[in-house]
Amino acid sequence: MERRDFLKSAGIAGILAAGRAPAFAQGSRLHVLRWVDFIPACDVELKRQAPEASKALGAEVQFEFINANDLQPRITAAIQSRSGPDIIMMLHNWPHLYQSGLVDVTDLGEWQGKDQGGYYAQSEAAARDGKRWLALPHGIVGLQMAYRKSWFDEVGAISWPKTLEDLRQVGMKLKKKGKPIGQTLGHTFGDAPAWSYPLMWNYGAAEVDKSGKKVVLDTKEAVESLKFMQAFWKDACDEGGLAWDDTNNNRAFLAGDISCTLNGASIYIAAKRGQDKIKDDRGEPMVRDIQHGPIPNGPAGSWGYHVAFSHAVMKYSKNEKLAKDFLKWLHGKEQFGKWFEVAEGFSVGSTKQWEKHPLWDRIDPPMKGYRTAAAASRMIGYAGPPSAKATEVYSKYIIVDMYAKAVQGLKAEDAVKWAADELKKIYG
Amino acid sequence: MVIERRWKKWVFFYIPLTLFIIGTLFPFYWMFITSIRPDAELYRSWRAVNNAPFWTLHPTLDHFQDLMAKTTFPTWLWNTFFIAVASTLISLFCGLLAGYALARLRFPLAGTLGTSIFVTYLVPPTLLFIPLADIIRNFQLGNTPWALILTYPTFLVPFCTWLLMGYFKTIPRELEECARIDGASRFGAMVRIIFPIAVPGILSAGIFAFTLSWNEFIYALVFLSSPERKTVPVGVVSELIRGDIYFWGQLMAGALLGSVPVALVYSFFVEYYVTGLTGSVKG
Repeated sequence: MERRDFLKSAGIAGILAAGRAPAFAQGSRLHVLRWVDFIPACDVELKRQAPEASKALGAEVQFEFINANDLQPRITAAIQSRSGPDIIMMLHNWPHLYQSGLVDVTDLGEWQGKDQGGYYAQSEAAARDGKRWLALPHGIVGLQMAYRKSWFDEVGAISWPKTLEDLRQVGMKLKKKGKPIGQTLGHTFGDAPAWSYPLMWNYGAAEVDKSGKKVVLDTKEAVESLKFMQAFWKDACDEGGLAWDDTNNNRAFLAGDISCTLNGASIYIAAKRGQDKIKDDRGEPMVRDIQHGPIPNGPAGSWGYHVAFSHAVMKYSKNEKLAKDFLKWLHGKEQFGKWFEVAEGFSVGSTKQWEKHPLWDRIDPPMKGYRTAAAASRMIGYAGPPSAKATEVYSKYIIVDMYAKAVQGLKAEDAVKWAADELKKIYG
Repeated sequence: MVIERRWKKWVFFYIPLTLFIIGTLFPFYWMFITSIRPDAELYRSWRAVNNAPFWTLHPTLDHFQDLMAKTTFPTWLWNTFFIAVASTLISLFCGLLAGYALARLRFPLAGTLGTSIFVTYLVPPTLLFIPLADIIRNFQLGNTPWALILTYPTFLVPFCTWLLMGYFKTIPRELEECARIDGASRFGAMVRIIFPIAVPGILSAGIFAFTLSWNEFIYALVFLSSPERKTVPVGVVSELIRGDIYFWGQLMAGALLGSVPVALVYSFFVEYYVTGLTGSVKG
């Protein structure tokens, strides 16, 4: 053991023996801002862990939870005014967008990857810029297609469709029976991009090349994906979806208006929680009839877009060291493990170790698909490296609008050309 | 003739009035129905058999109970009330003095100043919250009600000033001049003669300021962080929207209860309010 390691071990042993942190950290307060989790128990678990963290670190840890859509105004105001929460939760690849306001957490990023079996590419792309870690990956919310098993059986789809074309065929039969597929193409942060981007990738199209500088969208693959979407929309989908936000498909599914939709596990979990209220057409709890499947294969593969979550330490924070210590504590196997179990598969880990957790052996069968969902995920801005420009494209809903314009009647070639021109304005 | 008159009255008065009332009150009705509708009905399809989207046969107060028991709604309500009243009073005080000065005192660039005050009202809060956040940090007011009490006047003072300036201009100068001849100072004439006449204008400016403060969202979102410090618009959205699931029953119960104080203020002062907006002081 080297002198430095000995001192570290002795220091930690001393803290543990005393049951309190060193005097220099006493009296500090750490403010952590996160979204209001879809699983209320996850927030409860974090609140439960807060006093434990306070005791371990010798500083008061305070969580604040706000709606996901309100995080960005708070981040902007915090960075501009150089005040606010010490740690803020980031979604998607926001760390790239706000990187000038974030503390380098490379030491933590490297530690967590080694400690927990290596990251999913999605987590790494969201929070890492070259060798520098901008934020510490926390979890991934997987998106799968929730569907009504019995209705799919009725039209002969005993197993989940393998290809997008198969899905269109099944959807066509379901729509004729008044049970269409529901998909939003509105300006909404989750479900619309999570459908549109994979559709583009699964047909072999991409926003930019590997350098991330050259726009390569205007290809026959992109046109083919739009032609598929036009037919899929007309034949299989509820055409009111253009005006939907992230909530409408949940409501339509739980009301029995649609047979299938791309979503997080929130539909299944809401149906499970409200078994006595949310029933199917036979009066049985609807949860028993819900299954999940991935976005089916296109000609170029089967990719999904799953939302990465990370924690960033803000540069203006006066508690930088404390914030890092807290993140190491919170992301450690013991604490994260407790939070992970409470999430019931809605959020999975950012590293691959969590695929082996015993939770997956006892979880409901329809949730098992989320176990490895994050492995087949790409980051917005593919095939280039993750960048703030990709976030701008995402925030302006250019890819979503490309599909929306096509299903509203614009020729597929023209819609692709429009989107490519918009991308060039951003990527230069 | 009589038949024609009746027909005209229906077409030009009763039918438009009915449509207007339905259009105005329907959102409140929908809010109310949703807040007393059980969850099972909230998720029923519109196409479902025996579906009754416009009323409910199984009214429940569960959503109100959940709102009160599972969130800190009463605290949010109190915070909102305190902040709205305090910022309204500050804004009215400043607006009264500024409005009077701009309407009555003759000084260079008075007109330009009046216009520029109005222009400041047009700066959107979505731009202003960033520099204001800096000021709040410097004064160490973050996460206190004073952060909002002192920032709301940035849009309320220009509004009150502009509205009151217009109202003061409708009050004949002669009334004030008579008081001055009888020995009143300018301040005395202002307080004893002009302000009492301007009560409808002051009330309508106050009601508007109160409503704007009550419903404000972006500053409240940015400047307050503890759940117990939040206002109704921010608290309801933070606690009752979880990811892509909206707790519609509780959200509507919160919106309904949140709109009651504003509705009460309006109903008490509606006559003054209309007079204030129409500026009906006669010379």
